[in-house]
Amino acid sequence: MAGIARITPGLSASLCRTQSVPAVTTLVRTNTTQAPKQEKSTYGPLKDQDRIFTNLYGRYDFKLKGAMARGSWYKTKEIIEKGHDWILKETVTSGLRGRGGAGFPTGMKWGFMNKPSDGRPKYLVVNADEGEPGTCKDREIMRHDPHKLIEGCLVAGKAMHARAAYIYIRGEFYNEASNLQIAINEAYNAGLIGKNACNSGYDFDVFVHRGAGAYICGEETALIESLEGKQGKPRLKPPFPADVGVFGCPTTVSNVETVAVAPDICRRGGEWFASFGRDRNRGTKLFNISGHVNNPTTVEEEMSIPLRDLIERHAGGVIGGWDNLLAVIPGGSSTPLIPKEVCDDVLMDFDDLIRTQTGLGTAAVIVMNKSADIVRCIARLIDFYEHESCGQCTPCREGVTWMAKVMHRFQTGNAQQDEIDMLYELSKQIEGHTICALGDGAAWPVQGLIRHFRPELERRMDEFDKKRATSN
Amino acid sequence: MASPRIVQQGIKQVKPLMSVDRTEARRRVLNLYKAWYRQIPYVVKDFYLPITVKMGRDKVRELFLKNKHVTDIRIIDMLVIKGQMDLVETANIWKQRNHVMMFFKDTVNPKPKDFLSKFYEGQE
Amino acid sequence: MKGMKVKTDSPVTRKAREGVMEFLLVNHPLDCPICDQGGECDLQDQSMAFGSDRSRFTDNAFTGKRAVEDKNIGPLIKTIMTRCIHCTRCIRFASEVAGVDDLGTSGRGSDMQVGTYVEKMFKSELSGNVIDLCPVGALTSKPYAFTTRPWETRRIESIDVMDAVGSNIVVSMRTNEVMRILPRLNEDINEEWISDKSRFAYDGLKRQRLTTPFVRNNSGELVATDWETALFDIAQRVKDANPATIAGVAGGQADLEAMVCLKDMINRLGSEVLCTEEAFPMINSGTDFRSNYVMNTTIAGIEESDLVFLVGTNPRLEGSLVNARIRKSWVHNEMCVVLLGAPVDLSYDYQYLGDSFSVLKEIADGSHPIAKALADADKPMIILGSDAIQHNNGSLILDTVKRIAKNTKKSLNHPDWKVFNVLHRNASQVGALDMGYKPGMDSLKCDKPSLLFLLGADADKLNNDDLHGNAGVIYIGSHGDAGAQMADVVLPAAAYTEKDAMYVNTEGRAQVGRQAVSPPGMARHDWKIIRALSEILGVSLPYDKLSDVRGRLAEISPTFDRPGRVEETGFDNVSDDVTIDKITHTGATAPVVPALLKLRDFYMTDPISRSSLTMAKCVQAYDEAEANPYSKPEAI
Repeated sequence: MAGIARITPGLSASLCRTQSVPAVTTLVRTNTTQAPKQEKSTYGPLKDQDRIFTNLYGRYDFKLKGAMARGSWYKTKEIIEKGHDWILKETVTSGLRGRGGAGFPTGMKWGFMNKPSDGRPKYLVVNADEGEPGTCKDREIMRHDPHKLIEGCLVAGKAMHARAAYIYIRGEFYNEASNLQIAINEAYNAGLIGKNACNSGYDFDVFVHRGAGAYICGEETALIESLEGKQGKPRLKPPFPADVGVFGCPTTVSNVETVAVAPDICRRGGEWFASFGRDRNRGTKLFNISGHVNNPTTVEEEMSIPLRDLIERHAGGVIGGWDNLLAVIPGGSSTPLIPKEVCDDVLMDFDDLIRTQTGLGTAAVIVMNKSADIVRCIARLIDFYEHESCGQCTPCREGVTWMAKVMHRFQTGNAQQDEIDMLYELSKQIEGHTICALGDGAAWPVQGLIRHFRPELERRMDEFDKKRATSN
Repeated sequence: MASPRIVQQGIKQVKPLMSVDRTEARRRVLNLYKAWYRQIPYVVKDFYLPITVKMGRDKVRELFLKNKHVTDIRIIDMLVIKGQMDLVETANIWKQRNHVMMFFKDTVNPKPKDFLSKFYEGQE
Repeated sequence: MKGMKVKTDSPVTRKAREGVMEFLLVNHPLDCPICDQGGECDLQDQSMAFGSDRSRFTDNAFTGKRAVEDKNIGPLIKTIMTRCIHCTRCIRFASEVAGVDDLGTSGRGSDMQVGTYVEKMFKSELSGNVIDLCPVGALTSKPYAFTTRPWETRRIESIDVMDAVGSNIVVSMRTNEVMRILPRLNEDINEEWISDKSRFAYDGLKRQRLTTPFVRNNSGELVATDWETALFDIAQRVKDANPATIAGVAGGQADLEAMVCLKDMINRLGSEVLCTEEAFPMINSGTDFRSNYVMNTTIAGIEESDLVFLVGTNPRLEGSLVNARIRKSWVHNEMCVVLLGAPVDLSYDYQYLGDSFSVLKEIADGSHPIAKALADADKPMIILGSDAIQHNNGSLILDTVKRIAKNTKKSLNHPDWKVFNVLHRNASQVGALDMGYKPGMDSLKCDKPSLLFLLGADADKLNNDDLHGNAGVIYIGSHGDAGAQMADVVLPAAAYTEKDAMYVNTEGRAQVGRQAVSPPGMARHDWKIIRALSEILGVSLPYDKLSDVRGRLAEISPTFDRPGRVEETGFDNVSDDVTIDKITHTGATAPVVPALLKLRDFYMTDPISRSSLTMAKCVQAYDEAEANPYSKPEAI
């Protein structure tokens, strides 16, 4: 109940803002040269009325009634009826970038599907195979706000004239899949999707497909293969899924979060969404903070919020205080770690993290304080990648296994110092030589470790040598 | 200057190769024959030849008698030298089996010429 | 992608290749000295070309390399799975070309294993090809294991005679012994594959061989003798026999040279009775027109066809590579296949019309829906199995199928397209018919021959009742099989790897096989035996050299003069119109079924494969697999 009370003023406030913004722009356009747009210099915290996912913590009803009370399915018909060009335009204006890790501009990606049809149906595939260690944003959407996703499917599907959406959900997400299925059934019964969805004359189906527990199936082409009933092994591109995707038809694969924010962008306007974050890093984002923090959490925040601000405001700070911080993996297990001195002032967005030689990824912040054995942490991550490599490309299959062997020796220091360089070169031999990005994702953590913690590795080797010398 | 020298060479006595007279040449031939005669059993054994010692000795005799008409001492000497070399090559097994058997080449059957004989032989 | 530029020799590419090579070798065992692939290993070659000259794999000292348990997938393919580099070529071959989904991967990443999931035999008639496909020594030939190195052998390009396809092969020879047989690329016939029988039956060339002539003595025993005695014994028998009833029978693997010599000799002796073991109905224009008995569209032509109608044949076992071609078309060109015959597993789906002759008649009358489908098809093919027309009703079936083909042709858009095709089983058959041999032994049985020459005729289709009372039988052939058993004089001849000889395949394509090794013992080339015999008999054939015989062949038919090419058949319209014989449908007709139904039947069909230990092991393994209570009952 409280949620409803809170959301309605939020909606009206945002409507007011979108109305006021065009007024300013018309004023500006009378000038001969466009004045530089006023950019914000501080980011976050996000105001409650600007939150898209208002039931992230499952305090309210996830079903249709509760979802509608929180604003889902509000004027969806009108959005659909405005047509795909309008939806695409709003998406492009919003500056939304894919939330699955690569950060490809969503408007552009959905626009690829607007080639003249050759008779084949088009499909939207929603990647709900959230397997990246540290990441837990999509599951929160699916179990607590599944209608956001379903509505998003409809809006995104309209944007690309898709016939149906396939939600490929990770097999381990049992409760999430069942909540999602309940929501889909509700939506069908309410006529929101299916034949003549929302009375808009647009036919759109949503299917849920449960995976069988392979990290690699989160890669878009592997996901497509898996959806088709084959072994989840990534396909060689080109042809890209936009040409030949699932069942040989044009397909777009989008992350759950990307799809789920689409209806709100359309309702509140792309300008509203673009008012958050720095240029090229617009919008709000779900951040997952885990590891050595006092309150691990998933929180929706403005893009470009400083990392320190994010951790201290929402996660109750690093255990033992900020000075006890050792390193942070800022974007899920496959991004390189950054040490404390970088963490002090880095902003959580695509560009600033690229500047510090890491990446936003899925915005899964893994915090490690000084109690962590950083080498062991990375070795464990490599074990994960070794286990999850599909084995199709030699560099990934053999290289990651090899890296894992070396990393475990590094953990005890049972190695020579020149092997650090060898390991670095090895990771470079894997990176970029594989069909999909799993090889890259396995190589980057190692590269980050060597970049920032080389003295630690060398210290361990020296110690090991000394111990061996004394024991002999 | 040149012509008297040529004339001088022309009338000069030919220089003997080894032997000065027929007796000596004869002795050399007989010595070589004996050497061959004694070597034959070893040759047959060493080369594992498909012949008997007698056949070998007969062949030696035959080959010596082939040159019995030769009277020029120098030619006899030269033949002896060649025979000696042959003997050394054979005794030291510098030769191979087929080289030794080449002495018996005339005993090899001729290859069949007509189709049927070739067929029986199994040879092209 | 359009406009894409691929750099194959940039420093980046070279570095990447070196990296991949290093990774491949990380878990690849260094057992090249004991690996059968050594010398013809893609990994070795790649490593030499792109690899680094030193190793950085220091972890060998700590953890060692990956090891995988070997699998038992039958008597033909030896697996050393530790060597596998997970290229999955074998899996792709099995599922795409052979159409058998027996192979697959289990596990993931470096734990992945290639195998058959459960221990079972890799049941395919084309299984041996995965040996060639495997770039490393993970899949090698079991019979060939540890025998030779590729650089020790001499490779002779030859022709296979195990079926009528005429697959191009390479015979590897060392010290006058056939070490193995490999396929040779010929896009028109076998592409790059050969069947297991072609590949593995070579050990039959060393068993059951006739190495000396035999003559049956008074007590009925065959006694070894020499050529002169044997030939003079025959001369005596010829003198005693009635010249008009001296007969010759050409067996399934007889070569053109031998057949033409036999024909000329017997003609010179004054007889016309020459026939082949395999029957072909002599109704209407019979074998007068070539288009009546060859595969007119050629094997490569199958790829143009959009509808194949198989009548009484199991091409998978009768001509494995014809079947592979049909499957290829079925996969890539959406070709339809209709089958009338036994419901066998052809490795692709087909519409089954049953095995009844009445269906065939309905199609000929146009009352069956398939008749319309044939008429509507763009380039339909009817393939009649030679096996289905062996029995008494063969002429009826042939006539009906010819009528269907004639009806189909009426509505055809392509005037040059020939609908009617015959798939033969024997390598000699088309050549013999081209040469004027009479198909089948019915006429011979009527004549009651007083002296019979068997040229490798081992199908055991004759017995002594078919002959004149005290008729002599002379067998000329390579193996001590059915023919030699009934013979009075046995003359040892050469098998197909031991002679320069020509064969005509089912398409009517003459091809030259080359001599790899010399015939064993006192065995001689077939045509020379007949040539020598003719001299003894006083009817000397005027050819002393192989080139003379080939010249004689060229006189008989231009097709024999152009090896490797298919001479297009003409007058097929005329041949369709010739109807001389009135065929009466007498009573019930037996089902139109081929003889080879299961893979078990495939392995041993001719004297060579019957003598082969490897083929016997295949049959044994098949029986064991069938007896396994946990194996699912399979069609093949």
